[in-house]
Amino acid sequence: MDAEKITIKNLLLSKINRKFTLLFIIVALVAPALGIYYFYLMSVSSFSQSIFAEQVELLRIIAIMIMVLIAINAGVIGFLVSRSISRPIKELYKATREVESGNYNVRLNIKTNDEIAQLGEAFNLTTSALSKLNEERKEIDNAKTEFLSITSHELRSPMTPMKAQLQMLKEGYFGNLNDKQLESLSIIVRNADRLDNIIVDFLEISRIEAARLKFNFKETDLKQTVIDITKFMQAYANEKNIELVTDIDNLPIIEVDADRVSQVVRNLVNNAIKFSNENSKIEISTKLKENFILFSVRDYGCGLTPENQIRVFEPFYQAEDANRRIHGGTGLGLAICRGIVESQKGKIWVESKPGKGCKFYFTVPLTPVRKIEPIKVLFSPKGVIESKIRDEFKTTLGPLGEGEFIDLKGKNSLGKDDLFEYIDSLTKEYIISQEIGYDFKNRIGKIYGEEKEVINEKRDMVFQELGDEVLTRD
Amino acid sequence: MAKTVLVVDDEPDIRDSVEIILKTNGYNVITAVDGNDCLDKLKVTKPDLILLDIMMPGIPVDDVVKQIKDIKIAFMSVVRISDARKRGLCEQENIVDFFQKPFNVSDLIDRVELLLKD
Repeated sequence: MDAEKITIKNLLLSKINRKFTLLFIIVALVAPALGIYYFYLMSVSSFSQSIFAEQVELLRIIAIMIMVLIAINAGVIGFLVSRSISRPIKELYKATREVESGNYNVRLNIKTNDEIAQLGEAFNLTTSALSKLNEERKEIDNAKTEFLSITSHELRSPMTPMKAQLQMLKEGYFGNLNDKQLESLSIIVRNADRLDNIIVDFLEISRIEAARLKFNFKETDLKQTVIDITKFMQAYANEKNIELVTDIDNLPIIEVDADRVSQVVRNLVNNAIKFSNENSKIEISTKLKENFILFSVRDYGCGLTPENQIRVFEPFYQAEDANRRIHGGTGLGLAICRGIVESQKGKIWVESKPGKGCKFYFTVPLTPVRKIEPIKVLFSPKGVIESKIRDEFKTTLGPLGEGEFIDLKGKNSLGKDDLFEYIDSLTKEYIISQEIGYDFKNRIGKIYGEEKEVINEKRDMVFQELGDEVLTRD
Repeated sequence: MAKTVLVVDDEPDIRDSVEIILKTNGYNVITAVDGNDCLDKLKVTKPDLILLDIMMPGIPVDDVVKQIKDIKIAFMSVVRISDARKRGLCEQENIVDFFQKPFNVSDLIDRVELLLKD
């Protein structure tokens, strides 16, 4: 909205255009002056002859004609003015909105030969500079992903002979080793494995970021998949005497990549085992919802603080924990899970209380998403978007906004659709008025680069003022 | 009689490692440094199994495989098996296994033994 106000103000100032000023002077001053001069002549000449009534009639007609002439002139000028000023302003306004929504290729073609044309020119220069920057940003981004992929491959090739030779040493290919040598070798082998796992995870992330993650969709009964994983993971859980309990709905046969789903479930269960105490249990459940399947993995371990609940899906983030080093892992598991789930337009989030354990959720749509889009896992613009949303929350909802924001973020519900749903619930319960709701939605939409307004502009502008009034009163 | 394995890999360290592993376990080993070398070696000997890298300089591995009809081939590559399948590399009948690099030494020996059992 700001951009629009400034534009109009600037244009109003530059409106005192020489060409039109001249036209206005001619039409608005010269024409009436001529008329009045004629009127004067008539009245002077009428003094000698006293046929007054006829002349009054004539004068009246002339007066009316002058008025009509002025009206027509004004009309023509009005038309010209609107053509040469309002239209470019409208174009400029539309173009500004385009830029706002991230389309930097918009160009103006204003040929009025005046300040507006100059402004248009300046606008074009600015957008071309912006689009250049945007191109560069994209190139750098691609280069990053490419670099990640190439280096990971290159890092992985020396791993092959290294791991082979280490295993050969350990297995006595070159003679027997004493206990100390074996112990040392075990440490090297373990860390080589760990390094290799990190490289594999990096490769996976580079695939997610470049939308090269492969999904093989096949008709599958995910109930069986979950049962299989549970059986498989029970072996690991037994080491800590943990019981895996399942609660699985009967699920429809859907087209899905079962390997990817089990990759996510295994990862979550694996984490759950890591962070569970001995002799506890882990609950794995699936629920059939309207157009997706909701999976959850619940443990009764140490749990996560609200801060950690948010950050746990970030790469290399591990909750501060004395046991952390024993747990190992690459620190990329949950980030990859998020990449996999979001590649299928699903959601993943966690609910937890410190000391009470965690419950991880994720969703799988009933119909597969075949067009995979790139997802930023390593350096996502999420942070920027989130801080903007946080600001909107604070301005619209006042002091309450902050808490609501954290709440939604904890549920990983800061997607556009989630927020729209949330705003709808606020208006439904009369927490905010319909008008503020509309406005809120528009601004959230804008943060996500939405091109079209949620509602038509006119109403929006009226409500904008209303909204501001309410806000200042707060 | 000891079976013979031809190891084809452009990386000397991998070639040497695999050679030692197989020799220690009682196999005869011949090595080749790329696809062309592999085809040359096949003119003079007939191994029981070929362990073939996928990404090597020179003649593409697809063309190498097409020229070998009657010897068992197992790939050994950093390329993932799903990608290799997509490239249509695993369709020929004499392609019997796929070792993912980095491989596990004991797993390699177990599987080679299985492949060479009559």
